[in-house]
Amino acid sequence: MASTTQHALLSPAELAYLHASLSLTPPIRPDGRSATQFRPLAAETGILPGTNGSARICFADGTEAIVGVKAEVERTRRGDGGREDDGGELGGGGGGGGGLGSRLEGDFVEGLEGDFVEGLEGTVFLGAMLAEALLASGEFAKKLWINRRFHWKLYLDILLISPPLSYPLPLLSLTTHLALLATRLPRLKSEGDEDPFFDDDWAAAPYLYTRTKDGKATSRPPVSLLVMAVGNNIIFDPSKEELAVADVALAVSVGEETTKTDEEVDESSSSLGRNLRLLSVRTIDPPSRLTPPGVPNATNSAYGAAATTQKQPEARAAESEAVEGVWKAPRGGAKALVMAALVQKSLVRGGVADEVLDALDAVDLVA
Amino acid sequence: MASLKRSLQSDDPYAANIASKVYVRSTKSGKVQKIVREVYLRTDIPCSSKLCRQCLDAAPRDAAGRRVGFVLSERPAGTKVYPQGHYLVPDTNAFLSAMDLFEHGSAFYDVVVLQIVLEELRNRSLPLYNRLVALTKSDEKRFYVFFNEFRLETYITRDDGETVNDRNDRAVRKAAKWYGQHLAKTQPGQAPAVVMLSNDRDNLRKAKLDGIPACSLAEYVGQLKDGEALLDMIPESQDRDITREKKPGESLYPEYFSMSKTMTGVKNGLLHQGIFNVSPYNYLEGSIRVPAFPKALLILGRENINRAIDGDVVVVEVLPKDQWKVPSTQVIEEESITKDENPDAEEGDNIVSQQERKALQEEVRRTHSKSSESLAQPTARVVGVIKRNWRQYVGHIDQSSVSQTGQQGRKQDSVFVIPMDKKIPKIRLRTRQVAELLGKRILIGIDAWDRSSRHPTGHFIRSLGELETKAAETEALLLEYDVQYRPFPKTVLDCLPKEGHDWKVPASTDDPGWRDREDLRDLLICSIDPIGCQDIDDALHSRPLANGNIEVGVHIADVSHFVKPNNAMDAEASIRATSVYLVDKRIDMLPMLLGTDLCSLKPYVERYAFSVIWEMNADADIVNARFTKSVIKSREAFSYEQAQLRVDDASQQDELTKSIRTLLALSRKLKQKRLDAGALSLSSPEVKVQMESETSDPIDVKLKKLLDTMSLVEEFMLLANTSVAAKIYSAFPQTAILRRHAAPPKTNFDELANQLRVKKGLELNVESSRALADSLDACVEPSEPFFNTLIRIMATRCMMSAEYFCSGTQAYPEFRHYGLASEIYTHFTSPIRRYADLVAHRQLAAAIEYEAVDPSVRSRGRLEAVCKNINVRHRNAQLAGRASIAYYVGQALRGKATDEDGFVMKIFSNGFVVLVPRFGIEGLIRLRDLADPEPQAEYDAETNTLTTSGSREVKVELFQKVRVRVTDQKDETTGKRGVKMELL
Repeated sequence: MASTTQHALLSPAELAYLHASLSLTPPIRPDGRSATQFRPLAAETGILPGTNGSARICFADGTEAIVGVKAEVERTRRGDGGREDDGGELGGGGGGGGGLGSRLEGDFVEGLEGDFVEGLEGTVFLGAMLAEALLASGEFAKKLWINRRFHWKLYLDILLISPPLSYPLPLLSLTTHLALLATRLPRLKSEGDEDPFFDDDWAAAPYLYTRTKDGKATSRPPVSLLVMAVGNNIIFDPSKEELAVADVALAVSVGEETTKTDEEVDESSSSLGRNLRLLSVRTIDPPSRLTPPGVPNATNSAYGAAATTQKQPEARAAESEAVEGVWKAPRGGAKALVMAALVQKSLVRGGVADEVLDALDAVDLVA
Repeated sequence: MASLKRSLQSDDPYAANIASKVYVRSTKSGKVQKIVREVYLRTDIPCSSKLCRQCLDAAPRDAAGRRVGFVLSERPAGTKVYPQGHYLVPDTNAFLSAMDLFEHGSAFYDVVVLQIVLEELRNRSLPLYNRLVALTKSDEKRFYVFFNEFRLETYITRDDGETVNDRNDRAVRKAAKWYGQHLAKTQPGQAPAVVMLSNDRDNLRKAKLDGIPACSLAEYVGQLKDGEALLDMIPESQDRDITREKKPGESLYPEYFSMSKTMTGVKNGLLHQGIFNVSPYNYLEGSIRVPAFPKALLILGRENINRAIDGDVVVVEVLPKDQWKVPSTQVIEEESITKDENPDAEEGDNIVSQQERKALQEEVRRTHSKSSESLAQPTARVVGVIKRNWRQYVGHIDQSSVSQTGQQGRKQDSVFVIPMDKKIPKIRLRTRQVAELLGKRILIGIDAWDRSSRHPTGHFIRSLGELETKAAETEALLLEYDVQYRPFPKTVLDCLPKEGHDWKVPASTDDPGWRDREDLRDLLICSIDPIGCQDIDDALHSRPLANGNIEVGVHIADVSHFVKPNNAMDAEASIRATSVYLVDKRIDMLPMLLGTDLCSLKPYVERYAFSVIWEMNADADIVNARFTKSVIKSREAFSYEQAQLRVDDASQQDELTKSIRTLLALSRKLKQKRLDAGALSLSSPEVKVQMESETSDPIDVKLKKLLDTMSLVEEFMLLANTSVAAKIYSAFPQTAILRRHAAPPKTNFDELANQLRVKKGLELNVESSRALADSLDACVEPSEPFFNTLIRIMATRCMMSAEYFCSGTQAYPEFRHYGLASEIYTHFTSPIRRYADLVAHRQLAAAIEYEAVDPSVRSRGRLEAVCKNINVRHRNAQLAGRASIAYYVGQALRGKATDEDGFVMKIFSNGFVVLVPRFGIEGLIRLRDLADPEPQAEYDAETNTLTTSGSREVKVELFQKVRVRVTDQKDETTGKRGVKMELL
């Protein structure tokens, strides 16, 4: 398995072709999408009756994720920051939240470590990315307080079925997003700092993310999108083939700015789009860097070049120069300009993130 | 993408049969889980009405193709409103509030118990649930459990925002409606009505809207022919729910904390949980033992007691230190203080009445005047009730609370009922039958104790008969001490050997009954018991051995041969746990056939026995011990007196008498060894009531005489028990059934030791049982032989009570039996009358590899449950026995006045308690009994002296010997007869 996951099964020539077509203005994508278009997906929630919330998203190529959210009541440990047992990778949420929230946020989400069924080394990293996005704003952690002595601990169990090198972060993020939106926690009946005591009626359980009467969420968890750049083009939701030629790949986590007064802004926001805010950006080492380089005709002995072993050093040097139509793995980081454009494109009203969130809004939410 | 959700769409032909329930479950450990249950609905659950053909055909059959018989009668009884007959469908509240009604013999037949109701009842009250289950099993009452939650037509899902209660009420209505429609189909026009019973007004209203026949309990009972009598059994509070709106804001008592607040408090150690006990002398003083404090917490006054009733599991809050008090030195009896209260009054003003306040005021003054802060004990107040341990109470109507009109009319009237148990507060009862019930022993249940009501409210269950008639008083005793006295059911009797009284030990030794049994028929075995004893548990023998040692055998009735584990008889015996001996009556643990015949080691017949056989040397040291099942033939059944005469008669030189003499000699040595080891000889006043043989009316009271032969039997029984205990413990270290007697906490003796030091200059050393035994021996007053016994009686009351336990639950040092100074002990010698002994028999049989170990005697959980039950039953049986003696002593004294010697046992600031050894009774003499007007009194707590002045001048000290006149007296106001003592 490991050997096949290392490379996309594309020849250098194919890679070069793909790279070239994606660098055009506008870019031409293999599946005919526009640069900002998402792959069509099917989503449903409430598929696991035993969980507090669940969701499933499938892509047409068979990539699929199922997320189940289980909540448990936990006693809040005082003063120790609550960091010992939850695995370090979930921490580091940064200074958000403030007060109690920041001290304990690591405690809230667990279970992202994943079972490495597919030998997917990236799962740890994926889990960290998801957690980071969730915890970045601090809003999420605040929702999990029951009182000053107890909090909810959420376990997110994720089943992911994806082909190698497809980099399923957006899929996971969207599914988690939906599952969290569909998550309900038992209604608290006790008051103040008493030991919590809950209503036994599941129908009375409120949503973790509160809703308006017509079932729209008033706030929502963040989403992480995968964005890549080829040349000066910015391409959203790359397929695995496209990733194989990315110059830069970024995971951008976007959250919705919570509006101060929900009722007031509710009407206007739907017309104006959302107040989005960037929560985190992570560069991802795209698989394109591992692809073997193409050989320019000039140095290809099959085309009459002198293929002497003594010339090897020169051959290497020649290789590093860009030759039109010959695949060369990208080197170096993202250009600042590209980065700026990339972020801007994600956040702009009516932009991709907005579009995605709109689409997710259409999913019927049932716990 | 195909959805993964379970399709419940209409294209699935079975879609209608699957439903799911979703709810939140909170576990004790604090986990909160979402639970999803799938429910598979069926259409073949029968209605069980004998009218219904359709259900009969569809009803599921068992593996043998048999159908379960239908329960509901084809011709159910009618009422005024439903002349065509009716079935009842009660809701949960109906059962909760009026189970007594449903158990009544005159009405309430053909009842459909819905599954949802049964489940709800189990969650609300386990005892009521068990009673209902018993009803559904009885054939004559025709109660049918209908599984409405699994029948397609009657299953409903919870609506949005609907509470569970509302949903369940709706389920009841739905089921009632379905039943009605279902039956209407079978017999158009004349089908019995299906009537829903509820006391919930909202439920009734909705039912009426829905066209379901429904009534409240009161309405329904009103329709019955002899409903009047039953009306009283409808609980007070429920009744009021319908007839009267509650007036808000009239709360006398503080509100209880919320459940979550109390639980948090208890977990954090801010609040304490324990069992609430009321002082027998002062109804306004309670105490509660909690693990956090070495001494019990005091709870003083109505407000702090806050509606707790003796036996309730409550949560208390400790009061600030400036409110700590010294335990009361005053006698406060409810009946005398609250005598003139009017039960009809809506007591709005305050909880604490003037008189009560005065009584408490005295207390406070006393506490303040003495600056002995050190004596103050922590006090607490009740802030929540975890579990009510209300049962049915025996009592009688307080005559003074009956209004004149109530004496004649049939109008519903409020009266007070004074429970027999002094620790239970008086209960307000509404009844239409005041005139009939006056002067009767009645059984009542408590329904509720509202914050707005000074007294709890209850309802009438049934009358036991005239006060002071033997039948009524005996039944009252049995009910009060929860003794199972109903005849053995058929299922139990079916477990008896088929041969009945003709059963014999098989003649052929090849019979399976003889397997591994030793033939001891040629031994000279005899039994020694009280006169008239029929259930002979034990028999003895001794014979010299060739090596100069002596063989001693104790033979115990082999009850475990007849009572096999896990059959109906075993279950019944484990519930009864012990036989109960009243003065004129014995309530057996096992059916008569076994107890007095087949198991009983009667003389001249062969019987199965379980024998313990020792080889002893002349110093009564055990050389070796063995255990075996055997067959014996007792030569003679002696009474203690007969045996004593025979031993004392030097002319008797036969083998049997000689062997008894040997046993006697050995028993004296055994006793001496025991005493040397520190065994206590404790005392309680024991008397025997002599009855006239014909009428069995009590005529005289005698102190029990102690004979050497009693001690003989006792010593060998102790020895057998100890040997068996060691044996079963070595075989089953985790699950042996043993008996322990914990060392009493030293503080228990503080008061007595202090009194002895101050009054008599005697020291009570409680370091060990040996030290205690020695210092008790030293407590003698040459002029007064009874003084020693008095101290022993008082010391006994400071002790813990012995208890059965399962060896795995305690560490070995805790096994110790303090009173007997034995390291390990069990009960083995009375299996006919004690269940613990039966368990020990089974364990011993398994230990000697006579039979396989039954799972029931090696499951620790089960044994613990058994121990818990037998401990309670044992205690109740003792109390019932004593109460019975006390009652008969009172009856024997009736109409006579005798002057007797008595001893002062306890002194209060307004009275003192006198023990009269001659009758074994204690009586309270109050200051106001001394003279009229009540003399002034000075109470000195340091020296325990009460000095009166004014109208009569006496000085009463603790331990003082006094001369009292004992008469019986009937309190005119309360209608209660009691022994009255006058100081002469």
